[in-house]
Parts: sequence; structure tokens; C-alpha cells
Amino acid sequence: MSVGHHTTQPQQALESSAIRAQFPILGEKVHDRPLVFLDSAASAQKPNAVIDAMADTMRTQYANIHRGLHWMSERTTEAYEGVRDLVAGFLNAPSREEIVFTRNSTEAINLVAYSYGALLKPGQAVVISEMEHHANLVPWQMLRDRAGIELRIAPITDAGDLDMDAFKALLSDGNVALVAITHMSNVLGGVTPAKQIADLAHAAGALVLFDGSQFVVHRKTDVQALGADFYTFTGHKLYGPTGIGVLWARKELLEAMPPFMGGGDMISTVTFERSTWANVPHKFEAGTPAIIETIGLGAAISWVESIGMDAIAAHEAGLTAYALKRLQDVPGLSVVGNPQDRGGVVSFTMQDVHPHDLATLLDRNGIAIRAGHHCAEPLMRRLGLTATARASFGIYTLKQEIDVLADTLIRIRDFFV
Amino acid sequence: MSDVIEGAALYDRLIVERSRTPHFAGRIEQPDRVGEGKNPLCGDKTRVELALTDNHISQVRHQTRGCAICLAAADLMAERITGLSVPQAREVGQRFSAMLVQETTTPPGHISGGQQETAALGQLEAFAPLRAHRSRIRCAELPWVALKEALVHVDI
Repeated sequence: MSVGHHTTQPQQALESSAIRAQFPILGEKVHDRPLVFLDSAASAQKPNAVIDAMADTMRTQYANIHRGLHWMSERTTEAYEGVRDLVAGFLNAPSREEIVFTRNSTEAINLVAYSYGALLKPGQAVVISEMEHHANLVPWQMLRDRAGIELRIAPITDAGDLDMDAFKALLSDGNVALVAITHMSNVLGGVTPAKQIADLAHAAGALVLFDGSQFVVHRKTDVQALGADFYTFTGHKLYGPTGIGVLWARKELLEAMPPFMGGGDMISTVTFERSTWANVPHKFEAGTPAIIETIGLGAAISWVESIGMDAIAAHEAGLTAYALKRLQDVPGLSVVGNPQDRGGVVSFTMQDVHPHDLATLLDRNGIAIRAGHHCAEPLMRRLGLTATARASFGIYTLKQEIDVLADTLIRIRDFFV
Repeated sequence: MSDVIEGAALYDRLIVERSRTPHFAGRIEQPDRVGEGKNPLCGDKTRVELALTDNHISQVRHQTRGCAICLAAADLMAERITGLSVPQAREVGQRFSAMLVQETTTPPGHISGGQQETAALGQLEAFAPLRAHRSRIRCAELPWVALKEALVHVDI
């Protein structure tokens, strides 16, 4: 671990109680125990800022957007379109017109696979990695089967890092059109060397897409500094609501790509003979969008930015280092993977105890973790596992909660073995 | 030992022991019927092999990859249905399912039908606390799904 936690300890506790007070759900009890929520990588809890922004929209300032000629519609359109500016700032995108709202990261990747995929020719290749979430795997398989492109899988090392030599070799024939890779593994927690990946891809004539679903929650994201061509994330892992995700893509790519879905709002003119498309990003936003959820996402972004991504990253680096240390105290426990640069996600297994049994017993003690294949079955196979238990940390996670996790795991081990 | 950890009631000693040391794991050389169950959500898998003699289940073996609940359920199912007729085994399965989904704690087994004694759940009642763990019921039911598949074309 390159990042220590010694420097941030005193403020952390102070900050944490103020932060936690903004999450009403953290006051709930589960099975008569205080909730210890260590499943933020699946979906994060929501602060009052998000809950209130959504409820206030519905209570005081709601109508359909873009087409209304009345006050409510104009105000709601402003609020909705204002979030595009917030997202552009959040990703350091050069232009608000490069922000496409989708339902989630899965839909954003499907959009690229469909619309950018329509520009690919048989024989061209897409490279993904062995540690992709199904969301960044299945859409490319579908494209392969539909368009006759080749799907190449970049291997990972046993530690859980992308095997850069093998990756370079996959690019060497110059047939790769796109590299689509996670920016942070949802299973191993490893942060991929995105800038290096982008540079290698570009040198080989390929574009690059990063699935930032996990990454954007934990660290500052700068699509320009990364040299990305496409970047996706989802709102609900970023303390925002479900049903809203983001695709960022360079404007000339969005302009060259055909629409994904047809309908209202995405057109310029429509006749029975033909239709023409609205300008980007609206070309990719057919139908009434998730207005309230988008406003909720905007509130989430403003909220995390008010705390600061650097402070969040430092808090989580401290927690992750502490968790890795405490989990060593648990007999029979193995942490899965040891990536060079890890975010706040730790997967583990316990000898002779199945991850689901761990999850059930932890749950009965008020501790929520994820267990299973984490929508990454090929990665599980690569690791020789069928499932892992996963603890993930967020802005509201406390060191004491990691102690509760480790101590409970020790008792579970005693019970089973 | 079991009271040190909250939730341990779900993991009856019998369940823990059978998951660690199953009595009926393995294969039958030439099975008469085979069924498989797979839970795509968690990756648990079980394969149940049966030998039938005069429409009675004379031998059961299972190969199970999964959690303690699933493993123990497969093993205790194998034990419970050995020697039963096919309709009897089906009835035990129905009672087992009914026990897992029922809301109250009244004794299991109020299914109509005249096979009250042969369909008693016996040791399978160790799984009753699963009622409070909705997300885990399918773990215990998976071997029974495999059994159902194995018996699907057995008409008695």
C-alpha cells in the first residue's frame, strides 16, 4: 500500500460523524444491530442532499423538460441541463455537449457497443480485460456476434493487475479499433493504469473506453488527463439515485455515431419518409429522460465535490490499508488479489466457509457485504474461484466498522471450524 | 459454541457437519436418473444421481459445489429419500418447500394427502430457520430442483 493513513486519522473521525449524520439510513438497525454497511461498491447509500433534491423537485418544481412552454417546464429543464454542466466539470470534460445521460453504466457501454460498433468492420477487434464486469463484456460479445468483429481478452497477472506485456501484444497487429477496460475492478479493487493504457491504445490506432463505475466514487477523474475517448459511470454508486448513468465521449465521436434509440427528443425533423437527428448529446437521449434522477445525480456530484475527491480518496486509502491489516488477523482468510494500486474494495475468501455463509452470518450481525461472483464470472474462473466475499468502503465508512467486520469474521471462523 | 455468533441458529450442528463431511457425495457408476440444479445468481451447482429399483429410489449420490446450506441440503435429501418410492420422494420435497416458505412456526407438513408418515421431514427440519433468511431458501431448494429434474420422466 503506497498511501498511509497516519496523517488523516484525527480529522477523519470528526469528519465522519458529520458526514454520517447526513445519511439517514445509517441510523437504522438491522437484526437489532447498528447497520455496518460495507456494500457501497454494489450501490452506495444516499445523503440528505440527494434525497431532498429529488423530493423537492417533485414537491415544488417538476414538469417535463425541453418541450414545455411554461414556467415549470423551463425551470425543470434548467435544473436538468444544469446537471450536464456539473457532470462535465466532475469529469473535466471539455464540453457539456459530450455528456450523454443514460440509465446506468451498463446502458452507456451498450450505447457505445451499438452506435460506435456500427462503424466497425468485420476483422476489426475490441480488446477487453479478464477482470471486466459483465457490463463491459456481454455488450462486446453481442457486437462480435452481430458485426463479425473479433473480441480479444487481455489477461491479468495473479496479483490482479493488467498484464501490460500481453496487452501490448494484443495491440500489435494494428487491427484493434477499441480498448474497453475497467478503470477500477469491482472485485479486486485494482485501479488500472488508464493513462498508460490510453497511450498504448492510441499508439496502436485504437480508441479507449474506461468503465469508471467504481473509480469515480473514490478518486478525482479527469478524462482529458487520462486521454480517454469514452468514459462511463453510474449515479447510484456515487451516492446518487438509481436509473441515471453517464456516457462521456469526445464530440466528434458522438457526432459520427448513429443514434442508439429512436423516439422523441432525439430528432431534428420527422416525416413519414425519414427523420433527422438532434445535435449531440440529445441525439442519444430518446424519450423523456430520468429527470428526477438526473437532478439527484447533480446533487450527489455537488455533495461529493463539497467534501472533495482528494479528502475522500485519503479517507478510503486509510480504511483500505487498515482493512487489509485487520483481515490478516482472521484465521483461514485470504484476500483475493494484490493489485499495485487498490481502491476501497477488498475481496476475500475463508477456508472451509463459503462466501454466502459468511455473508448470511455477517448480516445477522448487522454487517452488509456482497458475496458471489460480482457479475464477473470469467474473472472468478481465472482466479479459480466460484465466489468471493467483498467488503467495500465509502465516504461514511468508519475504522470501527472494519474492526466489527474482522472481529465477527473471527467468531464465524470459530463457529465453522 | 453456537451462541457466540448471532444467526448461528440457521446453521444447525447437523448442517455444519454434513456440509463438511457429506455422507452421500459422489457418483453412481450407472445411474438410472440424473438431474442438475444451478443457481446462476451465486454459482452453486449440484448434480444428483439416482438408482431406481422397482420404482423405489435405491441409491442417491450428489456432487455439490456450493455453500454449507446447499451442500447439507443435498446430503440430507439423499439420506431422506433413499428407500422411498418416487411419489413419496416428491411429497417429501413438497413438504420441504412448504416448510421453507410458511410464515408461522406451526409444525411443518400440513399438505393434504395420505402419506403423512412416509413424507415426514425428519432431519430436514434442521432447515426450518431458513424461513427467516429469504435470500437463502433457494440454496436449500437447489438439490430438490435437481431431484425434480431427475424424476421428471418417471411416471408412476
